[in-house]
Amino acid sequence: MPHVGRKLRKWTAHLLDLPGDVTLGLPRVTLIGRMWLLVENHAGVLHFSSRRLTLSTSHGVLEIDGRNLVIRMIGAAEVIVEGEIDGFRFHGGAFQDSP
Amino acid sequence: MDGSWRLWAHGFVRVRLIGESDNAQAVLREAAAAGMPLYRVRAEPDEGLTFVLSAPDFLRLRRILRRHRCRVRIVTKGGFPFLRKRIVRRKALILSALLFVAALAAASSLVWEVRIEPSEHISKEEIRAAAAAEGVRRFQWIARLDEPQDLARRIAARLPDAAWVGVDRHGTMITIKVVEARKPDPRPLENPRDLVAKTDAVITRIVAENGRPVVRRHERVRKGDVLISGVIGTDERRQAVVAKGEVRGLVWHEYEIVSPLVRKAKTYTGNRKDRLWLVIGNRALRLTGYGGEPFAKSDIRSEYAPWRLLRWELPLGTLRERELEVAFEEVRVTVAEAKEAGLARAREELLAKAGEDARILHEKILHEEAGNGKVKVKVLFEVDQPIAEERPIVWPSA
Repeated sequence: MPHVGRKLRKWTAHLLDLPGDVTLGLPRVTLIGRMWLLVENHAGVLHFSSRRLTLSTSHGVLEIDGRNLVIRMIGAAEVIVEGEIDGFRFHGGAFQDSP
Repeated sequence: MDGSWRLWAHGFVRVRLIGESDNAQAVLREAAAAGMPLYRVRAEPDEGLTFVLSAPDFLRLRRILRRHRCRVRIVTKGGFPFLRKRIVRRKALILSALLFVAALAAASSLVWEVRIEPSEHISKEEIRAAAAAEGVRRFQWIARLDEPQDLARRIAARLPDAAWVGVDRHGTMITIKVVEARKPDPRPLENPRDLVAKTDAVITRIVAENGRPVVRRHERVRKGDVLISGVIGTDERRQAVVAKGEVRGLVWHEYEIVSPLVRKAKTYTGNRKDRLWLVIGNRALRLTGYGGEPFAKSDIRSEYAPWRLLRWELPLGTLRERELEVAFEEVRVTVAEAKEAGLARAREELLAKAGEDARILHEKILHEEAGNGKVKVKVLFEVDQPIAEERPIVWPSA
């Protein structure tokens, strides 16, 4: 049934012209300068160190690289990272365990 | 965004996670998933994690920790619940602090000083008493006082001699300013009296302001006759008042004038001699004007001018003396002139005696005689002058 529900949601989003992060739970990444990075709709922390934060999302694993990283706040759906951010990338669509 | 005020309200703890690295990562994952927001998560160099979370969440975190065999150590605690606990522990200190604040507030809501600006006739004590009766006194609560305008009005009502009262509150000090009413000079007290004639006269004008006029115009009165009576009413309604009014009458004055026919006059001849003296202390040294005293009769006028140094007067100075020669002259005057001079003097004398507003109506020369270097004149003046004189009523004989 979740398959049907997802299709229904996708259809509604298309019909109402709503952005995907609202309806489909797509990850949304906001980078503010090189200092703050906000990730919404994440699915949990896989790994965290001062140089790297790995998050799982519905569309793969999100890796954030940087130096002196600090998680300013982490909630059920959003993470705010602070530090000198060098970059971030996704790893495919498949779930992975921590590298 | 990071809900810092909620953290503070619920209380927060900063903890350090102790355990294996993988387990620590799992705790981080699960805590977030369980709806426990974590804040300021920091990865320490030794692979440990420190983070901040709210105190209620910290209690829920225990279960997750146990499952992953991790332990936490509390680094710091903060926020309102912990603060309250500390406050409760230091009850005395907090209480005294509150007491201090309360005492300060109480002290600053009291009137500490009532300052009264001095006024000329109303004494400070009087004003202070009036103000105190309206509640304006030391150690009064400011909140219990009315508006300054109302206070001023009511204090003014208690001070009959005040024209205006100003009340000004400045912090804990109240200034009262009183402006006095200008009062007319008190009238002299007067006893019931009659107005009686000063001299024999014929009344020319009588106006009674107060009292009962007894005589009429053209009536002849003798000295001591009642002109305006202070006794009014009849029988049992009789009462004595202060008689007031204006009474004028014709009065005759007889003068005997003696006026000399020779008049002595002092004149300056114009001859003069100047002398200059140097004054040292109380001694004088003549500088100019030697040569004795040249005039038989003279006036000497002298002027001393001390020397000054800045504003001090020195005991040195100059004395300027001027001697003026005087001659006495004898002027012969005619009989008519001598008579006129005598009459003029008599008139002046008369007016001085009879009063400023007396008018001389007639003058009649009764007798005239010249001889022995003088003129003798007897003259009768008819004068219109005020004749009223006060005489107290001695009750009840009057």
